[in-house]
Amino acid sequence: MKRSAPLLLRRAVKRAAELIIILIILSFLVFALMYAAPGDPAEKRLTSQGIVVTKEILQAERERLGLLRPFFVRYGEWLGSIARGDFGVSFKDDMPVAGKLAAGLKNTLILSSLSLLISLAAALPLGIVSAVRQDGPADHLIRVVSFVGNSLPNFLISVLLMYFFCIRLKLLPVIASGNLRGLLLPALSLAIPLASRFVRQIRSELIGELQEEYVTGLRARGVRERYVIWKNVLYNSLGHIVTMAALAVGTLMGGSVVIETVFRWPGIGKLVMDSINARDYPVIMGFVLIMGTIYMGVNLLADVIAGILDPRILNTQK
Amino acid sequence: MKIKRSVSDQRKKQRYRIIAASAAAVILIAVALLAPMLSPNDPYRTNSAIIRHAPCAAYPFGTDNLGRCVLSRVLMGARTTIAVTFFLVAVSFVIGTAIGLLCGYYGGRIDDLLMRVADIMLAFPQMVIAIAVAGILGGGIAGAMTALGITMWTGFARLSRSHARTLRGMPYIQAALLSGKSGPYIMLHHILPNVLEPLLTNALTQIGTTMIGISGLSFLGLGIVPPQAEWGSMISESRAYIQIAPWAVLFPALATILTILVFNYLGDAVMEYRMAERHT
Amino acid sequence: MKKKLIALMTAAMLVMGMAGCAAPAAGGTAASGTPSAAAEQKEEAAAEEPAAEETAQQQETEGEKILRTAASFAYPSLDVHKEYYGWYTSIYGISEALFKLNENSAAEPCLAEDAVPDGTTWTVTLKDGVGFSNGTPLTAEMVVRNLERAAEVNERFAFLADFGYETPDEKTVVITTPEVYPTLKNDLASPELGMIDLDNTEDYDNDPICTGPFVLKSFIPEGDVEVSRNENYWGGSVKLDGAIFYYMQEDDPKLMAMQSGEIDCYNSVSSAALEIYQSDPDTYNVVQIPGARLQFYILNENTLDDAVREAINLTVDKDKIAEYLSGTVSPAVGPFSTEAAYGQVTVPAVDTKKAVELLEADGYVKGSDGIYEKDGEKLSISICYYAARSLDTLAVLIQEQLRDIGIDSTLRVEEDPDSTYIANADFDLALYCMIADKSGDPLYFIDSTLADGSYYNVAGFEDAHCQELIEQLRYEVDTDKRAQLANEIVQIAIDDNAFGYVGLFNNTTVLRPGVSGFAEYVPFDFYGVDAETDMPAK
Repeated sequence: MKRSAPLLLRRAVKRAAELIIILIILSFLVFALMYAAPGDPAEKRLTSQGIVVTKEILQAERERLGLLRPFFVRYGEWLGSIARGDFGVSFKDDMPVAGKLAAGLKNTLILSSLSLLISLAAALPLGIVSAVRQDGPADHLIRVVSFVGNSLPNFLISVLLMYFFCIRLKLLPVIASGNLRGLLLPALSLAIPLASRFVRQIRSELIGELQEEYVTGLRARGVRERYVIWKNVLYNSLGHIVTMAALAVGTLMGGSVVIETVFRWPGIGKLVMDSINARDYPVIMGFVLIMGTIYMGVNLLADVIAGILDPRILNTQK
Repeated sequence: MKIKRSVSDQRKKQRYRIIAASAAAVILIAVALLAPMLSPNDPYRTNSAIIRHAPCAAYPFGTDNLGRCVLSRVLMGARTTIAVTFFLVAVSFVIGTAIGLLCGYYGGRIDDLLMRVADIMLAFPQMVIAIAVAGILGGGIAGAMTALGITMWTGFARLSRSHARTLRGMPYIQAALLSGKSGPYIMLHHILPNVLEPLLTNALTQIGTTMIGISGLSFLGLGIVPPQAEWGSMISESRAYIQIAPWAVLFPALATILTILVFNYLGDAVMEYRMAERHT
Repeated sequence: MKKKLIALMTAAMLVMGMAGCAAPAAGGTAASGTPSAAAEQKEEAAAEEPAAEETAQQQETEGEKILRTAASFAYPSLDVHKEYYGWYTSIYGISEALFKLNENSAAEPCLAEDAVPDGTTWTVTLKDGVGFSNGTPLTAEMVVRNLERAAEVNERFAFLADFGYETPDEKTVVITTPEVYPTLKNDLASPELGMIDLDNTEDYDNDPICTGPFVLKSFIPEGDVEVSRNENYWGGSVKLDGAIFYYMQEDDPKLMAMQSGEIDCYNSVSSAALEIYQSDPDTYNVVQIPGARLQFYILNENTLDDAVREAINLTVDKDKIAEYLSGTVSPAVGPFSTEAAYGQVTVPAVDTKKAVELLEADGYVKGSDGIYEKDGEKLSISICYYAARSLDTLAVLIQEQLRDIGIDSTLRVEEDPDSTYIANADFDLALYCMIADKSGDPLYFIDSTLADGSYYNVAGFEDAHCQELIEQLRYEVDTDKRAQLANEIVQIAIDDNAFGYVGLFNNTTVLRPGVSGFAEYVPFDFYGVDAETDMPAK
């Protein structure tokens, strides 16, 4: 433990430096892609209600938004303002991008953390049961269900849940703006495939752990099975479970774009879909940066936690 | 003795699972290929007399918003979905493997650079990249495939690279080198055959994921666009009137689920088989 | 197969099971799940009951007339002059312009009594007693400052800066235009030119002080909006106590909310929802009128010869298309509503026989596959469209109808029509949808699509006489003569088979019985609640 701390710190610094480089490269790629892609934010903005404008008005708007300047000037300026912590203003409505992202992020975090919570709450017991009673009937059932759940695209789950709960059974209100029952279906849509994946991962992790020699040793010494599982096996697998949950953040981020769009949850995923439609590039760029930072940040944190919980991980990775 | 038999029993069972899953996959592919012949109606023929007609003998899955036969569209959709998926996986396979082999075999600066790029791609959640790229490119099949392919090649590249690196040092490769065989020859004849199996397994497991991705993008309006029949876009199109014509959503949904299940099952079965092989 | 069935069923069970156990767990963390104060209130009231009861209960206890409706757009700001925000402040009943467009697309008095043209000057007289919700009267000077601000912050109204303004007295504004400007009165009815109290408004984005019958109660940027009665309304009493606008972009939630009783009315009803409402006339009152949003196509005169264009126009069956779009669209004759004086044009009826004759007279011969060819080349046209406003449906249907008479076509969908096929004119038939009538006058549409060098006149339509008439229309002040000119101009384009006007979107509003005055008879999108909007008392 003592020796691993500076190692962790060194690695954290290195990863943070890497993160910045990756973000710069990535932002350049996205910027270049947007530059080359069709679509004109000035036009989207001026004609959003179906009223067309003259070429002169359009050109003036492009000028105002700075769309007529050379590519590298625009990228350079964007990078410069990001370095000062300024995300710029939206092409769609001149509102600060940072404010939009923050508001969306808050709602996305609410949704994602609830989904993650549901997933873990469902997957941990199921995964443990499945591993401990390997090849029993419970294991078989859990494996089938988790296999199916893992194969379902989340947009399909969301459509089916909405159909059955809102239309067929009329159990939930349609107007979900911010209330919890409205949050339930989007959270479930994200949680079902995730929980299924967790169950599979936890199961194989625990089965692997149960085959370790120390378990055989403990059992041979007559230590009670429950004690073995809770005190040793689970504790030792904790590091891997943390890593698994951290990796799921990526899945949740991709999934939330789909789910928020379906359920009109005002999160960052819906924001980016709307921004893509409006060709609102400053928001899209901000989204990429924020998502990249969060994803890599969470993984870094998970590495650190996993390393502390289970020093073996450090050794295997180094 | 007893243990041995149970192991061989297990192998047998695993083999059966692979056979069953392959059979199902073959049936699905056959359905996709024969879709024009199997379709009871023209999947693109509109008919204002039978808009949103409930399932009946002539239209077993009912009709959609424009009076088109849902069954025929589901069958044609199988074609689109499966063809696009296979094509995309195949292209990623070829490009990824080529890059991986070159990097692994030659190493050096290009290796560093390309693996860095792969790292960047892997550092980001695939669906987030795919949505951003497909959205910026403005939808369409090409856009969606680019969006998913941009991250997919990395899996193949890393796999083939690591194998190529290990194999490079093997005595028989060295022998081939000494006998004057060229780099590309060695890669193709000595390294590739050895990497093929894990690569194919990876390709198999990618099929389900790719289908989820393609139909997800189409669902968001960023992939295959109407009127072309594709399950994701059919679901998205019909979602607006799910209340009066649920069949137009539920049948393509079932088809999507079934297909993904079959290919994922096949992928799982093959994976398990290979894992067990390595252990014994 | 059986195994898969079992698998599917277990999946369904998993879903149910999860829903069951997650519900109570979720209830425990109530406070964290609320992004807004308004929603929080609602949630407290709703703690345990199902949705329908919740809202009913809320109304019973309050005994107020609060109209609940859905809005398809939600903007981040309420600044009347900027962008299209004024459309929504107008819908919310917060802002008003000097004039208001009525059922017949004519500008009628609102804050202003009248506007009288004389050469290059317009004299606008304000009504007596008009004022803001804070009690400040609306003066001529304030009107001028509002127009100047709109010109400054909104590109589309920048032309107002070229005008001269004088205020001879508190109630009169004299506007001098560089050239004769016949449509000023209609322009002054634009919701973007709503009046704001520029002296007392502190936060234009979140709380503008305006003249409308309602004032803002709560505003979530790009979210729900709540308004309550303006107790100082200059126009007298306001029937409703307030209104809530839920932001619901898609059709399905609106339908479900209407069915579950969560909302009282909404407009732009989809065809699927319409079917449901019409089957239950006791519960739902549906009002349908032709609107101002036009679906049309441009025929490329540079790539299609006269016979083919005429054949296409004789084949595309607007009535059939409207039938598919079941009630959301009315078949169009010209670009404008046939109710309007400037909407009087004639179009030949569908006649596929004549279309075929035209093609054959032009030298086309039917091939073995039923498609016409000429000099060994198949008659195949490219149809460009974008997937919005039902244009995707139109593309499919037009393709089908053309194939029936022997014209093959390929569909090409673009995300952004303006920067692709409109800009490059690389189409044979291009579908487009725009508002053809934004302020009760034909010039805007004619000027955008038919004038030489205009934005949407990209496919070779050119007619010297037509251009002459357009120049006349620009400066004609007399309304009747304007209508006459417009009819003549549009007829030329129709006779030239340069365009095909397919459908006008209906403004379809569904209301609960007893709800009225939700702008359901006005063909414009930017009106909603006003002083006369009413609903049954609970």
